[in-house]
Amino acid sequence: MAFSVRLEGLDKRFGRGGRSVHAVRDLSLEIGEREFFTFVGPSGCGKTTTLRMIAGLETPTAGRIWFGDTDVTALPPQKRDIAMVFQDIALFPYMTVRQNIGYPLRIAGLARARVDEKVEKVAATLGLTDKLAMKPGQLSGGQQQRVAIGRAIIKEPKVLLMDEPLSALDARLRVEMRTEILRLHREISATIIYVTHDQVEAMTMSTRVAVMDQGRALQIAPPRVIFLRPADKTVATFIGTPAMNIIPAAVVTKPAGGLAIDLLGWQIPVAPRHYAALKGLKRVEVGIRPQAVRLVPPGPDRLAGRVFLREPLGLEDEVLVETADGIGVRVVTATGEEIPERAAVGLEVAPPDVLLFQPQTGVGLCYGID
Amino acid sequence: MNRVQVYGPLALLLVVLVLVAFPFYWMVLTSFTPREALFRPPYKFFRLDFSLDNYRELLFATEFVRYFANSLIAAVGAIVLNVVAATLAGYGLTRFAFPGKKTFAFGTLFSYMFPPMLMAIPLYILFSALQMRNTYTGLILAHMAISLPLNIWLMWQYFQIVPQSLEEAAWVSGASRLRALRQVCLPSARPGILSVAIFSFALSWNDFTFAFLLQTDRKMFTLPVGLANFVEQTGVHWGMVMAAAVLVSVPTFLLVFFLQRYLLSGLRTAG
Repeated sequence: MAFSVRLEGLDKRFGRGGRSVHAVRDLSLEIGEREFFTFVGPSGCGKTTTLRMIAGLETPTAGRIWFGDTDVTALPPQKRDIAMVFQDIALFPYMTVRQNIGYPLRIAGLARARVDEKVEKVAATLGLTDKLAMKPGQLSGGQQQRVAIGRAIIKEPKVLLMDEPLSALDARLRVEMRTEILRLHREISATIIYVTHDQVEAMTMSTRVAVMDQGRALQIAPPRVIFLRPADKTVATFIGTPAMNIIPAAVVTKPAGGLAIDLLGWQIPVAPRHYAALKGLKRVEVGIRPQAVRLVPPGPDRLAGRVFLREPLGLEDEVLVETADGIGVRVVTATGEEIPERAAVGLEVAPPDVLLFQPQTGVGLCYGID
Repeated sequence: MNRVQVYGPLALLLVVLVLVAFPFYWMVLTSFTPREALFRPPYKFFRLDFSLDNYRELLFATEFVRYFANSLIAAVGAIVLNVVAATLAGYGLTRFAFPGKKTFAFGTLFSYMFPPMLMAIPLYILFSALQMRNTYTGLILAHMAISLPLNIWLMWQYFQIVPQSLEEAAWVSGASRLRALRQVCLPSARPGILSVAIFSFALSWNDFTFAFLLQTDRKMFTLPVGLANFVEQTGVHWGMVMAAAVLVSVPTFLLVFFLQRYLLSGLRTAG
């Protein structure tokens, strides 16, 4: 039986005095039983420190950690009923694959025959049966990672922690292992807590994601919600490739009454149900995903610009358009629309795809202004 | 590649080998040459008048065996204590934070820069007061005083390259700190431990200064001191001195011969 993990006002400072680093600030959240929960954020955002505190490898400066109904804050890692996969894989170089995978069971004091039996079962699910006699140094990166995962799941932990387990692998293997970890999550009954700086990993694998920055969780939500309704500008620009366009704009009153967004001289009407959110604001920041912008022939009633750069991405092209005000707008278009560089183009955005952010705090105001 | 490129370095190696190996060869040859034949011309490079007289005299008519045993006890003691102390100190220096850690580590290295002679008189006074002259403990401690600083520094460096995550993986697997140290850290630091062992042995085995100062009782002489006495008392019986030299170099030779395989294999897995 897995259990939930609850963080209560978790805080971590490294060092003392003026040179101390505040790695995690007052973090509270609850991770459900058997959830696949991911901490994602740029390096130094506190995600790994949080994971290490859950593992017991780091002592919180303040706050408590609960596994189910048990307060584990003061428990050492040995007593937490967890397993962990490390960023640098951390296999024991002098032990064979068999010894590596079986290590947790040997420490638990299981008889050799029982250990061997279980190791073989785990090795079979991970496709490592013919590698059992080898040393980690003889394996490829992907195989090593599989051994590390095997060592983690063999004692059927209640909580499985993964600290950027795929970052040491090359791109193709990473996609492969992603599928494998998802399959694993379906098969074992553990709560998985995953740390990554790769937003694609976070978005594709998790049931819920915590986007972290400077020691704080900016948003904790399912991937879809994070993508469609980012809590603030930082989350919005961090999630999604290419990054969301953020363009400063003005809130204006239409001659006929009612509000509109003046985006670089082009007015987009705002539906009345959003008036309350925009109350008292003269300026906002508009967020538009590059996929939501369409390139159209230039015209008087639309945003105009010139193609500055185009990068083929395979099925799509990423096009950078520079407006007359010198603001760059990233657009993703289907390949084949041959628009030469320096060509004048118009930009079109549907009101449901326009996100508005508070200009000072960056907090999300409207997700679609229709 | 032409012949010069292939055989040139080989020839150079051969010349160096002869320069290095000839004294050893001469030592072994002399040790097997009977006393009467030694100073009788012509002095040939190859002699066939093989005899074990020198060895017989050395082993049965002198106190060589006792000196050898004393040296061995001191060396083994120095190895064991150095390995234990340096390993734990190196581990502590890399895995725990405590005030003055850097100062301690550099102080250790700094203390190694003093010549042993500088410590000789203070140690003599100290050990006299503690009644540790003419004891194995005293000699072993004296040898540790010279070798431990460098050993600690060596192990400190070694543990720095053993990734912390290896240990953490063991802890998360349920291993206690001591168990993780033993099963995960130490195997990875083995080349370092062997270097410490070899260095401690060499220092203790070759030490003259401390043994000469501290061990005034003939029964407690070590080989370097004992052999020096040979030269004074019996005139210079070169055959016997060379026989002693051969026997003295045997343990060193064996140690390096057997440990170098581990040393190299350690380098291989680390690289």
